[in-house]
Amino acid sequence: MKRVATIILNRNLPEITDRLHDHLKKYDGDETDIFVIEAGSESGNISQYTTWFADWTEAKANGLRYSRGMNYGLSQLWKEGRFEQYDAFFLLTNDTELQEQPSLAPLMSVMDQHPRVGILSPCSPRWGEKLLLNKESTKYFWFIHNNAYLLRRQFVESILNTDQPDFMNFVFDGSNFRGYLSESELIAKGYANDWAAAITSEVWATENESHLINQADLIKTEKYEENLSLYIEEGQSWLRKKYGFNSRWSMQQYVKSFYDKFFEFHPEFINFKV
Amino acid sequence: MMHQRLSSILSKKRCTLLGVGPMSINCVDAAIELANEHEVPLILIASRRQIDSEKFGGGYVNNWTTEEFANYVIDNDKKGKILLARDHGGPWQNTKEVAEKLSLRRAMESAKSSYLADLEAGFQVLHIDPSVDIFGTPDVDEVLDRVFELYEYCWDHAQRLGQEVIFEIGTEEQSGTTNTQEELDYTLNSILKFCKKNNIVQPSFVVIQTGTRVMETRNVGSFDTPVRVANELPAEIQVPQMVEICNRYGIMMKEHNTDYLSDEALQWHPRLGIHAANVAPEFGVAETIALLSVLESNGLSKHADQFLQLSYDSNKWNKWMLNNTTASNRDRSIIAGHYIFSHPDCLSLKKDAASQLAKLGINLEQHLKQQVKKSILRYMSNFRLVGSK
Repeated sequence: MKRVATIILNRNLPEITDRLHDHLKKYDGDETDIFVIEAGSESGNISQYTTWFADWTEAKANGLRYSRGMNYGLSQLWKEGRFEQYDAFFLLTNDTELQEQPSLAPLMSVMDQHPRVGILSPCSPRWGEKLLLNKESTKYFWFIHNNAYLLRRQFVESILNTDQPDFMNFVFDGSNFRGYLSESELIAKGYANDWAAAITSEVWATENESHLINQADLIKTEKYEENLSLYIEEGQSWLRKKYGFNSRWSMQQYVKSFYDKFFEFHPEFINFKV
Repeated sequence: MMHQRLSSILSKKRCTLLGVGPMSINCVDAAIELANEHEVPLILIASRRQIDSEKFGGGYVNNWTTEEFANYVIDNDKKGKILLARDHGGPWQNTKEVAEKLSLRRAMESAKSSYLADLEAGFQVLHIDPSVDIFGTPDVDEVLDRVFELYEYCWDHAQRLGQEVIFEIGTEEQSGTTNTQEELDYTLNSILKFCKKNNIVQPSFVVIQTGTRVMETRNVGSFDTPVRVANELPAEIQVPQMVEICNRYGIMMKEHNTDYLSDEALQWHPRLGIHAANVAPEFGVAETIALLSVLESNGLSKHADQFLQLSYDSNKWNKWMLNNTTASNRDRSIIAGHYIFSHPDCLSLKKDAASQLAKLGINLEQHLKQQVKKSILRYMSNFRLVGSK
């Protein structure tokens, strides 16, 4: 039985998606089943490995983005009764680039060594966080900005919305369409439920933003700068409506307060505090 | 006493202290007036390029020497609210030392003579920054050795002069990259050991990289952006970490290059526990924009054009430009404007414009000072220096 379900989110970039699929199959095929979501892709731009196709009108017009896309994939696993067979879920956008070696076995090994880690992120050679991972290759953080997360099933079970197992509500908040601070919200939910969020340098991954920058027309999305501006504008509105926060720094303090509390109750993990 | 006074203000007001670059005489007047009107301390942070001793021919700000600048401030600061500070003192921090390609020993001697002039003029805060080396890249221990030599020199002379002085340390230029915990721990440990061993007061401030970096008229660092900046720690991680370390050592954290941050980002400075922050070019640019605006809206476009040309020709904008800049020539002139305020041609065109504006009931220098005050006040309000008890 494979321990991991990998979910790849695609929108109109079948070659890139297939390449990532093949990479995972080659290096991590023993460890994971791979599921590909088509986030409203056009008929000629569908991955040969598509598992689920979000083909409703809004998804075709706007795509799903990370939160809705991962909700869709995870809720499909739930509906199909396959959710519980996995120990963890590896959530990837198709622009993720992994090393030419296994990624999931070492990630699961980190998970096994850190029983209270619910969210695990590979590090990127372009991140400043790598400087904090010299002595210990894995550390617990209150802030991780990434598009590649390994989520422990037990953590996901502690926060999932079984009343609304759909693309809007299952794990992430689908009303935060572009996902501004959605990672912080997820991490807060983690620490609030006694699960830590970690970055490890045991595995490296990068997000190749050039696809978004150079192929926005093909992906059928806004240009990079426009997307960034909407990401902040809509996200700030979501943040204010949901939390009454007017700044990302409020969210940062909110998450950090849970983070600091975690170590009061888990002094055994103090070496992994940054 | 000075350290305790600042600490007490910080803990009572829960504010962030503001370092103001003395970009022009109007900027200096604006800072003095605001500090006195609101009865709060402001730190005037003079770089060696802005103000230096007579030996170096003064600086580009009002052609003042250190002594003239200090006398001007001390005479006008009626309530004694201004702290006179040397920003980025150290070898090769004056253009003359670079142009003459002084050797290390000569550059250190030169830096010491500049510090001595600071102390004799009544400067109260000295930033020891020997991170510039025109012949190579010194490692951290070499930089620390230079810090110790300059620190001891300044302390000895302050004692001899009976002058109270506090120190700021920081071994960075405007790199924008973040310090690591280890680097900061090592630096602070070494300096505290040195101070203890030599019975010298420990530094009051340490310069911390929080993800602020000024290019053109923007802050392009990671502090004010929710997206990643390559090879930098997100400010969400960096800032709380650095504050924690500074608090552990009892040293106040000073942020440099704070210019152009949004109100939201500035308002979080006190809440995040950032003790002090420096702002400089933004105030110079504010004055330049105000000058151009008042000239152009009162039929003095010819004067404005002359100013723009003079500023552009100075090439002082060069170091502020982004690699992939889309800035126009006008933008470049605005960036460099404050460097030429004391240029004879600029003084002459301003004098002529002032007399023409006076006929329209506009006091040019008063108007410019008010605009700079507005710009400084934005920081004072957001830092809780004003508007809260």
